Amino acid sequence: MVYLLSVGLLVPSLIGLAFVLPLIGIFVRNVKFFHAYASLASLYALATAAYNFHIVLSEGVKAYPFGGWWPPIGISYEIDEVNALIALLTTSVMFLITLYSAWYIKDLKSAPYYYTLLLGLEVGMLGCIYTGDAFNLFVMLEVMSISAYALVGFHRSKPEAVEAAIKYGLFGAVATTLYFIGLVFVYGSFGTLNMADLVNKVTFGISSASGTYYGQIHAATAVALALSLWAFTFKSAVFPNHFWLPDAHPEAPTPVSAALSGLVVNVGVYAIFRFLYTIFSPYSIVSELRDVMLLALLILGLASGFVGAFMMAVQDDIKRLLAYSTVSHIGLVLVGLSIGISIAAHPNTPAYVNGLSGALYHLINHSLGKSLLFLASGVVIFMAGNTRRLDEIGGVARRNPLLGFTIIVGVLQLLGVPPFGGFFSKYLLYSSYVEAGMPYVSVMINAISAISILGYVRLLYAALFKTPRTREVPKVNLTPLTVLLALAILCIATGVLSGSITEWLRWIVGRTASEQGIFNYWFYGYYLFWGR
Amino acid sequence: MSEVDTFMFNVFIFSMILNTAISLYGIFARPTLIKKIIALTIFSDTANVLAIAVGYRAWPTVERSPIPPVLTTSEPTASDLTSFLQTAVDPLPQALVLTAIVIGLAVTLFLVFLTLQVYRLYRTTDVRKISRLRG
Repeated sequence: MVYLLSVGLLVPSLIGLAFVLPLIGIFVRNVKFFHAYASLASLYALATAAYNFHIVLSEGVKAYPFGGWWPPIGISYEIDEVNALIALLTTSVMFLITLYSAWYIKDLKSAPYYYTLLLGLEVGMLGCIYTGDAFNLFVMLEVMSISAYALVGFHRSKPEAVEAAIKYGLFGAVATTLYFIGLVFVYGSFGTLNMADLVNKVTFGISSASGTYYGQIHAATAVALALSLWAFTFKSAVFPNHFWLPDAHPEAPTPVSAALSGLVVNVGVYAIFRFLYTIFSPYSIVSELRDVMLLALLILGLASGFVGAFMMAVQDDIKRLLAYSTVSHIGLVLVGLSIGISIAAHPNTPAYVNGLSGALYHLINHSLGKSLLFLASGVVIFMAGNTRRLDEIGGVARRNPLLGFTIIVGVLQLLGVPPFGGFFSKYLLYSSYVEAGMPYVSVMINAISAISILGYVRLLYAALFKTPRTREVPKVNLTPLTVLLALAILCIATGVLSGSITEWLRWIVGRTASEQGIFNYWFYGYYLFWGR
Repeated sequence: MSEVDTFMFNVFIFSMILNTAISLYGIFARPTLIKKIIALTIFSDTANVLAIAVGYRAWPTVERSPIPPVLTTSEPTASDLTSFLQTAVDPLPQALVLTAIVIGLAVTLFLVFLTLQVYRLYRTTDVRKISRLRG
């Protein structure tokens, strides 16, 4: 079969499932129904994403053209190993977050709208990840962003939440419009917005069904890349575009903070990967532009690593501390992603493969660890009587050993302590820059980890080691604790299985960010439909 | 291109750049949320006009204007197709702009609602006072 139906099916059907909810809310007056509905919907997303992942691993890259319009003409979704993996990560963490939401959202009035927005956020992320069309990426980025703005301001009677939402929304709209202007430049110079067709023209130089390229493509590509990378770094909160994150993420409802901090920031990183390693790859005719872009990303990544690590140490709000830790970790992921600078590593050298697989590995570790810590902080805040201040929490996690255990696992995961995945991914990043002959970057990665210890220790001390002031804490039921335990087990698994995961990620990087991977992306996304 | 065309084209490019600069200034520097939102709509409209301009087609001949990309004959001959290709405007930028306008409407509506909510909570839409209130 030329195309795979389940790739195209997931996003539209999940949109339908999400937006029918307010309508159902008129008729159904039982809050349990909405919990079950949302959990089943995200379980369906998880099952479909897992199926897609399985198919891609066994059969290779798959595409789906919508409405029977073949690639350069219509919108097509295309998955290779990397986006299938990130989609699987997104849907599995989202499933756990939806389960946790059943504990967090208790009143009937807000449940349908909350779940509409949460599923809308999941749809937006999946659309961004699966899409094989640069303009559809813009549309899906907006779907994701609008859901995220609305979720940040979900407690609309809370002044801080509304203020954070409007800050996020206003600047987010500017960022996506800049990406749109970038797309105008891409379309004006290449005459297409389909990613596989762009690969066709940029890498193979073949004129396609949409003609050839026009004008000065180097200048146009430079402008387009600069504008789109600005938008992507805004979405993934890289310094200096991180200013909205420490306001927006803590003010959102706790499950949403976990989704925003753990998953939404990944989308920007994935888009950067897709633009700089598939479309404008090292083999493309504009490859000399990549060095400037990647060097800028490397510097910004290190800067946001440092800024996040330093700012963590001075926070007195548990969720704000975790939000700054997100800035720091996304910086580290970007450092790994910028290994493709030609002074550092040529494609297929060990440094190149290690750097990219380290970035992917760190992305996974950070998503699991950060969503675990945010969800655990929700329980801690509840037990401490709705306070987020570190000095008022007063070691409530001691009253619940399981909660304490999961917090320790999450902190060690993010800190990068040997038996956990965070260590092995940081080690991969470290060793890749040593191999690439840029040891000062490796030293800075270590320094970032060392500085961030301060923040994590404050979190551990406040939540766990301080003597509790009261013996009486409210009882937490089993749902959130089960979710936390599942995430903790996943965190431990990333560490225990690090050897095989590393090998496997190297294999994935070898299949996607290489000459063969770009060929496959073009072949299955474009050539198979038109070439015959 | 004639000199008038070149002049008009330059005026267009200049006004696009000026619009972008003014609207970005409005978004980042004006204190009132409503004015920020107005500047945001100017910014996205500038982007939309830029996209439409990419689909611009100079008049093929003096007496024949560019036509909408619709074939009006049911059984086109080769000469019909040739003249169609020479005169039809690229429809894709217009489709992109339609999508972007709809999305922009949703974002603007959401931001206006949030501004209303800010006004209800703070009794002002001035961002300097809002962040001062928060302390």
